[in-house]
Amino acid sequence: MMDEIKAKIRAFIVENFLYGEDSELDDDTSFLGDGIIDSTGILELVGFLEETFEIEVDDEELLPENLDSLDNVAAYVARKI
Amino acid sequence: MEKSTRKNNCHIPCLIHHFLEKSAQLFPDKIALIHENVRASYFQINTAADKLACRLIDLGIKPGDRVAIFLDNCQEYVISYYGILKTGAIAAPLSRDLKPDGLRLLLGKLRPKIIISERKFERRLKAADLDATDLKAMILLNPKIGWKDVSFQVLAWDDLKHQDTALPPDIIIEESSPASIIFTSGTTGTPKGVVLSHKNIVSNTEAICDYLQLTENDVQMVVLPFFYVMGKSLLNTHFAAGGTIVINNTFAYPASVVKQMIDEKVTGFSGVPSTYTYLLHRSPLASKADQLKSLRYCSQAGGHMSLQIKQQLRQILPPHIKIYIMYGATEASARITFLEPKHFETKMESIGKPLANVRLYVLDSNGKEVADGQRGELAAVGPNIMQGYWQEPEATASVLDLKGYHTGDQGYRDKDGFYYLAGRKDNMLKVGGHRINPMEIEDVLMATDLVLETAVVGVPDNLLGHRLIAVIAPKDASVDINRILRICAEKLPKYKQPSELKLVRGLPKKSSGKIDRYRCLQMLEDIEDM
Repeated sequence: MMDEIKAKIRAFIVENFLYGEDSELDDDTSFLGDGIIDSTGILELVGFLEETFEIEVDDEELLPENLDSLDNVAAYVARKI
Repeated sequence: MEKSTRKNNCHIPCLIHHFLEKSAQLFPDKIALIHENVRASYFQINTAADKLACRLIDLGIKPGDRVAIFLDNCQEYVISYYGILKTGAIAAPLSRDLKPDGLRLLLGKLRPKIIISERKFERRLKAADLDATDLKAMILLNPKIGWKDVSFQVLAWDDLKHQDTALPPDIIIEESSPASIIFTSGTTGTPKGVVLSHKNIVSNTEAICDYLQLTENDVQMVVLPFFYVMGKSLLNTHFAAGGTIVINNTFAYPASVVKQMIDEKVTGFSGVPSTYTYLLHRSPLASKADQLKSLRYCSQAGGHMSLQIKQQLRQILPPHIKIYIMYGATEASARITFLEPKHFETKMESIGKPLANVRLYVLDSNGKEVADGQRGELAAVGPNIMQGYWQEPEATASVLDLKGYHTGDQGYRDKDGFYYLAGRKDNMLKVGGHRINPMEIEDVLMATDLVLETAVVGVPDNLLGHRLIAVIAPKDASVDINRILRICAEKLPKYKQPSELKLVRGLPKKSSGKIDRYRCLQMLEDIEDM
């Protein structure tokens, strides 16, 4: 299930922020640190997670350890669903 | 008490890096900077800056040369900034938003001898074709890619650390010498390099320290980038006072910032309007505000913040936390006015009064001062006003004259001497026969309390000149658009009502956090094309 979640998130990031080019995106790449996503992008990612996985992301959960790499997001989503 | 200590210990002439040197003398072991796992003392930073300065001189840097800094906020940024200043060279911070084309353009104008950068920006630098510039060396933190067959030296930051020399370079630098070139964001034209002297920045830094009453006990949370003049002033003011700065580059995750403010007992927080919008509506600030026991004040600059955000902020923050509303410009070394917190409740919409050593005028189109209450362009005079734009005499002459620096901001002064902003001259939109100030419409939209943030932009229209479209990030995604339109119809004359509302999750921002109107327009074009 984890792989499936990660694949969906990867596809979203690649399509919306990397214009289809995914060679720079490893599972542990920091979205913010590597300049892939800015603060507006984080909100778009949160919206995507809420709609796709039918979860609610609380303000207190807007943390790098939950959202700042494919590994972190996938683990966070897996905990929530 | 601290204020007089600060002034009496200031060298003559007073240069920007003397702030660091003085604090390293007075508080050598005090933590000057916190960033992730780094906790660096004043002694450590000053020694590292001395070593870097010596190395830069070995590499051929002379007073007046430009050294570009292309780094995210970090300890090495601070060392680089003060190290460059110690050589008499000019520190030129570059925005992290720059892409290869923009970099090539700016570096072509600036002609730096050295660039200090880091791994994450290497690809952009490579694509910018630096061989075409006068670059002599590039210093990189944790370099990743190979730099073969280039016309300049490439050095790793870590290799510089082993230099033995730690004495400050013995170089005579005048107060009037250029210290920094900061590029304006230039969303509608080519960015211009604002040349600020040591005196410009020192005088502004001291004035800010005075009104914020900063001391060595202050701990400032820094979420604004140092390449942005307001971020840089947070660094200079706290190093002048011997305080501590806490660097947090993850404001996109606001909960992490609130948590660190509590953990590090932060006493000061500063942001632009969107910073506060996100703290209020996308962070646990409200539920954790009572834990911010050390927080002394919050300050806001970087453009007009809506009344609603100010009121909500006041409501959420415990009463002991002061709110400073401030106004400034890169061309003014950062700050021009501030509103004393004691007037916050009664003059909430005001940007306050000029700093002690600054005068501010409201001028009509002929350059004559207008009466209180009448609108005009704000023009500032003081020791903080820039020397001019880098190698652009015409652009300089268009904003600097005997009346001071013409800010391009419209505003007015009330009968009590408080100043107010009324929009930017270059944001005005022509709709039909009317000139529209988008700020006025944005304020009405924010007042609906349904909107998180908004930008009203003009889409070219054959008939009207422009058609008004409001790009809106709603508080609640399921907002009723018609309700917003109805409120606009009640509050605004027909010609000021947006013809359309476009809902988005968040508005595009610059790295400074300011809303990027140009990208808002681009976003609308993309939607139209789909």
